[in-house]
Amino acid sequence: MSYVYTVARLRGMENRFLDASFFLRLIDSVTLDDALKALGETVYSRWLGGLDTDFDRIIDEELWHVFDELRQFVPDRELLDLYRMPHDFNNVKVVLKSLLRVRDGGERRYDLLSRLGSVNTEEIVAAIETEEYGLLPWGLNDVIPRCHAVWEQTKNVRNVEVLLDGQLFASMHAVAEKLGMPSVVEWVKHRVDAENIRNAVRLSRLGLDGGASLPFFHGGGTIRPDNVAKLLGEAPESWGKTLSYSDIGATLDALQDRTDVQTALSELSKALDEYLIRVLEKAKYTMDAPENVILYLLRKDMEARNLRIALVCVANGLNREFVRRLLSHVR
Amino acid sequence: MELLGLFLALFGAAIAGGMSGIGSAIGIGIAGNSAAGVMTEDPNKFVQCLALQALPGTQGIYGLLIVFVVLNKVGLLAGTPAPLTWVQGLLIFAACTPVALVCWISAIAQGKTSAASIQMISKKPEAFATSMVLPAMVETYAVLSLLMSIIMLNYIAL
Repeated sequence: MSYVYTVARLRGMENRFLDASFFLRLIDSVTLDDALKALGETVYSRWLGGLDTDFDRIIDEELWHVFDELRQFVPDRELLDLYRMPHDFNNVKVVLKSLLRVRDGGERRYDLLSRLGSVNTEEIVAAIETEEYGLLPWGLNDVIPRCHAVWEQTKNVRNVEVLLDGQLFASMHAVAEKLGMPSVVEWVKHRVDAENIRNAVRLSRLGLDGGASLPFFHGGGTIRPDNVAKLLGEAPESWGKTLSYSDIGATLDALQDRTDVQTALSELSKALDEYLIRVLEKAKYTMDAPENVILYLLRKDMEARNLRIALVCVANGLNREFVRRLLSHVR
Repeated sequence: MELLGLFLALFGAAIAGGMSGIGSAIGIGIAGNSAAGVMTEDPNKFVQCLALQALPGTQGIYGLLIVFVVLNKVGLLAGTPAPLTWVQGLLIFAACTPVALVCWISAIAQGKTSAASIQMISKKPEAFATSMVLPAMVETYAVLSLLMSIIMLNYIAL
């Protein structure tokens, strides 16, 4: 299969995206049943069961189906693996945390495992529980023993997560480089930047300073980790100005002129998601650019996220205007 | 040596027909890939896709036309080949090169434009007319090369 076919098919599939008018109708629903009835008129209808109101399952089924469909016609399977890799690492985190919890007399939380990764969840669980780490891809065979060591030394789950995130981005870089697609490599770099900015916001709320926070930032982005760490010594309102030399700097405007921290964070998160789409958006003008695969998946993910937000808000009877503000990249 | 002129003339006709045919095949292949992708999602777009996919095929026809003009000029169509000097053969060969080169390249370029246009009608079916204009612009240069070759062939005295 060529990317000309792939991109053309993706263009056709894009017609199935939920549009702005649908989301407005959805958030105008009075009850969750009404919202699900509206959802029944879309591509999600195939996953709706009679009285089943578990919309998380419905959305995950649709996303899994999209990955499965793309796997059949995307020429480079590694491109899909690259996109699904964060789900694999998230699954590893779930299993490791469960095992650590069990040691302390807690329970396993394998219900938090996601099917959306490229590696079967059962394989991940089996490999980690039996310590057959060699069966796992993406350098996990090397990093999981180190995670155990870090846990023994620090007893801090956050340090384990940082180690895994570092490996995730290193593996994403390696796969993107191997694919030989410069714009995909660029996207990975921007993804690292976005993650570093998100970490900076979280750490600034915890009151950490630049020096102590440096290990929490990952290399491989367009902004050096020490430059991100320096942001913690400044007021969040000035971060945009400090990083104005970088492409991501403009997204930090969301932190300016905001008295409400929660709203600012939500706006920033939205801006970063949209930024990652924008990085790839020029590919939509090319009829055979492989980046269109990632772009499609990002937009599908965004749709799933918007759907989740809208349905949670409808289920809890939240203010419609508030919901509308939370939705991003709705067209 | 007496057949060298005829050989050069026929070689010119062969590359005109062959290269433009190769270009058309590649162009139609590219557009076809795109059409298949769009039709997998919406089979109702067959007619529009077919029209756009066919556009890069015209270069192959121009090449064939030049083959007939050359064969006619050297008398092969009438069954009585004219005696050609090597200079005359070389001139006919030179006259065939515009079609050979331009049609080869333009068919591939047109295939890519058609593929993009097919993707365009996948999202905006109402823009079908516009989508036909874009690859048709590439056609202009294939037509110009055809005219060049015909005019040159016409001016070669045998």
